[in-house]
Amino acid sequence: MEILERMFNVALIVATLRTTAPILLVALGGSFTTRAGIFNIGLEGQMLLGAFFAVIGTIFSGSPWIGLLCGVAAALALAFIFALLVVTFRANEVVVGLALNILAGGMTVSLLKAIFGTRGSIFGHGLVGLPVLRIPFAKEMGWFGQMISGYTPLVYVAFLAVPLFILFYKRTKLGLYIRVVGEKPEAAEALGISIAKIRYTASLLCGVFAGLAGAHLSLGYTTMFTENMSSGRGFMAVAILIFSAGDPKRILAGCLLFGFSDALSLRLQTFGVSSYLVLAVPYVVALAALFALSYRARPRIIQETLASMGRALSVKPPSAAEPPALAREP
Amino acid sequence: MNDRISALSGQALAIMIALALGAMVILAVSESPLHVLLTLLDGAFGNPERILGTLLQTTPILICGVAACISLRGGLFNIGIEGQLFMGGFAATWIGFSFEMPPVLHVMAGLGFAAFAGLAWVAIPAFFRARYQTNEVVSTILANYVAVLITSYLTINIFKRAGGAPDTPPILESAYLPQLFSFSRANWGLVIGLVLAIGAHFFFTRTARGYAVTEMGANPKFAEYGGIDIKKQTFFLMLASGAVGGLAGGIESLGVHHRFMEGFAPGFGFDGVIAALLANGNPLGTIVTALFFGALRSGSLLLEVDTTASREIITVIQALIILAVSAQILVRRRATDSSAGERRWKF
Repeated sequence: MEILERMFNVALIVATLRTTAPILLVALGGSFTTRAGIFNIGLEGQMLLGAFFAVIGTIFSGSPWIGLLCGVAAALALAFIFALLVVTFRANEVVVGLALNILAGGMTVSLLKAIFGTRGSIFGHGLVGLPVLRIPFAKEMGWFGQMISGYTPLVYVAFLAVPLFILFYKRTKLGLYIRVVGEKPEAAEALGISIAKIRYTASLLCGVFAGLAGAHLSLGYTTMFTENMSSGRGFMAVAILIFSAGDPKRILAGCLLFGFSDALSLRLQTFGVSSYLVLAVPYVVALAALFALSYRARPRIIQETLASMGRALSVKPPSAAEPPALAREP
Repeated sequence: MNDRISALSGQALAIMIALALGAMVILAVSESPLHVLLTLLDGAFGNPERILGTLLQTTPILICGVAACISLRGGLFNIGIEGQLFMGGFAATWIGFSFEMPPVLHVMAGLGFAAFAGLAWVAIPAFFRARYQTNEVVSTILANYVAVLITSYLTINIFKRAGGAPDTPPILESAYLPQLFSFSRANWGLVIGLVLAIGAHFFFTRTARGYAVTEMGANPKFAEYGGIDIKKQTFFLMLASGAVGGLAGGIESLGVHHRFMEGFAPGFGFDGVIAALLANGNPLGTIVTALFFGALRSGSLLLEVDTTASREIITVIQALIILAVSAQILVRRRATDSSAGERRWKF
C-alpha cells in the first residue's frame, strides 16, 4: 500500500503533465499535416532542429524568448523544405521526411562540434531556460494548485491549445479547408480551393508547433541540448496521429497516455528496475496502442465501401466511435 | 535506352546539387570543402588498408540495403532494419559465446539465428501491416528504439562480464567469420552481401514470385486483381526483409566485433535504407550506393582526425543527396508518364 502511495500521488500527475507537454505540442502540430492528408514523418527532425536552435538563440542573445523564436524559425525552415519537396515536387513524403530527420540529426551534431567544439550535449554557456510561471493564489488551492502551477509557459500553451484546435477545425474557414483537402481532395478542387496552398499552410503551421515542442524540450523540459534529444517523440507523435486521425481530443488522450507511461516508468526506475527497460516503456506503449487501434487506420477505401454499402442497404454505417463487430474478428 | 541515360544524368545532376549544398554546409562549419573532400577520399581509398576499411564499412550497409530493397520492391518501408540488425547481432553473439560447436557449423548456427532474430523482430509489425494495414513506417521505427534498449539491457544487466567493459563476453573463435585478408577486419560478410544482392536481383527479374512482388509494389490494386494474395505476400516480404537485416547484424558481430556492446552498429540500418532508396530499390544499384556510403563513412573517420569538422557532416551530405534525388526523379517522371502505376516507394 505504501508503495502504491509512493507511486501514485499529485507528483505523478505533475510529472505526467510535464512529460505530456512536448509530445502534445508536436502531435498538435502534426494534426495540421495529418488533416491535410500529408503523412509527416519529419516531425522528429523539426523538433530536434527546433530544440537545437532554441539553445543557440538563447546562448547568443541571452534571452530564452529570442531562443524560442530561433527554434521555431529553424523548424519552419525544415517544414518549408518538406512542403516544397512533397507538395511542389510531389516527392514521396516518407522519403523526404526520413531524409530531413537524418539531415537534422547530422546538422545538429556537426554544428555542435563546429560552434562549441564538443560532442554530446551543451549546457551552461549562459544558457537560461524559460521562466517558471507561478499562478497567483495557487498555494491556497492545495493539491489542485500544486497541479496547475509552476510549469514553464509552453506547458500551458500545449494544454490550452487543445480546445483552440477543436474550435479551429470546427469553426474557422482555414480549419475546414484543411479538412476538406485531406479528406476529399477532389471536392476541394471542385470548390476552387488550392490544394497546394492549403498543404503548404498546414506544413508550415505544423513546423511552428514542432519548433515550439523542440524549444520546450531544450528550454523548458530541460535546460540543455543533447544529441538526438527528441529521442523518438516525433515518431510517437506520428503513431498518435495515425490512430487519432488528427482529432485534437484523441491526440490529447493519446499524449496523456504516453506522458503517464513515461512518468510512471521514470518512477519505476527508483524501485530498481533496469533503466533500459524503463526507457523502453513509452515506445512499447506507443507500439501497443498503434497495433491495438490499427483497426481504425484501415484504408479509407474499405471504410468508404462499408459506408456506401450501408447506405445502399439503408443501414447506419459503423461509426468510428464504436468499433463494429468486424473489428473483433480473430 | 535514351530514357535511361537521361535518368542517370538526372541522378548525377541531383547528386552534384546535393554535393554543392554539402560544400556550403561545410563552409558554414568553417572548413574548406576541397580539404574535406580530399580528406574523405584519402580516408576512404588512400592505401590498401583504407580501401579494405571502406569495404568493411560497406558490408553492413550493403546487406541492410538489400534488406531494404526487398521491402521497397513490394511497396513497403521497412525502416526497422536498424533494430533487426541489433537483434540479429545480439542473437549471433549469444550463439557465439554460449555454445561450443565445430567451426563452420558454429558460424552457420550464429548467422542462422541472427536471421531468425531479425525475422522475429519484424514479425509483429509485418503481421499488422499485412492484416490491418498498420503503418509499417512508424511501427518499425518505434521498434528500433525498443530493440536498441532491449539489447542494451541484455548486454549490461544480464550478460555483462564482471568488472569488465559494458559488453558481452567475446564469442568463441570457432564462431569467427573468417577475414578476407590478414591485415583488415573486412570479412566474408562482403561476399555474402554481394551474393545476396545478386540473388535478390535475380529473384526480382527472373522469377514469377519476384515479378509478383514488383507488381505489388508498382500497383497493389492491379496486383490483387491479377490474383496475388497481397496480405500473404506483404507478410512474407517483410519477414524476408527482417531476416536479411538480422543477418547483417550477425555478420557484424561474428565478423567484426566478436562480441556485442552498446552502440553496436551506428546507423548502418538507416544507411542501408538510404542506399536502397538512392538505388531506387535495385539490389545491383545498391552495391554501388552502399560502396559510396561505405567510402563516405570510412573517409569520415580520417575527417574527424584531420579536420575540425565532425564526421556527422557526411550524414548531412547523405540526406541532401536523398532530398535532391527525391525531387529530381519526380520532375523526370512528370515529363515521361502520367503517374499511372505509381510506385509507392519511388521518390
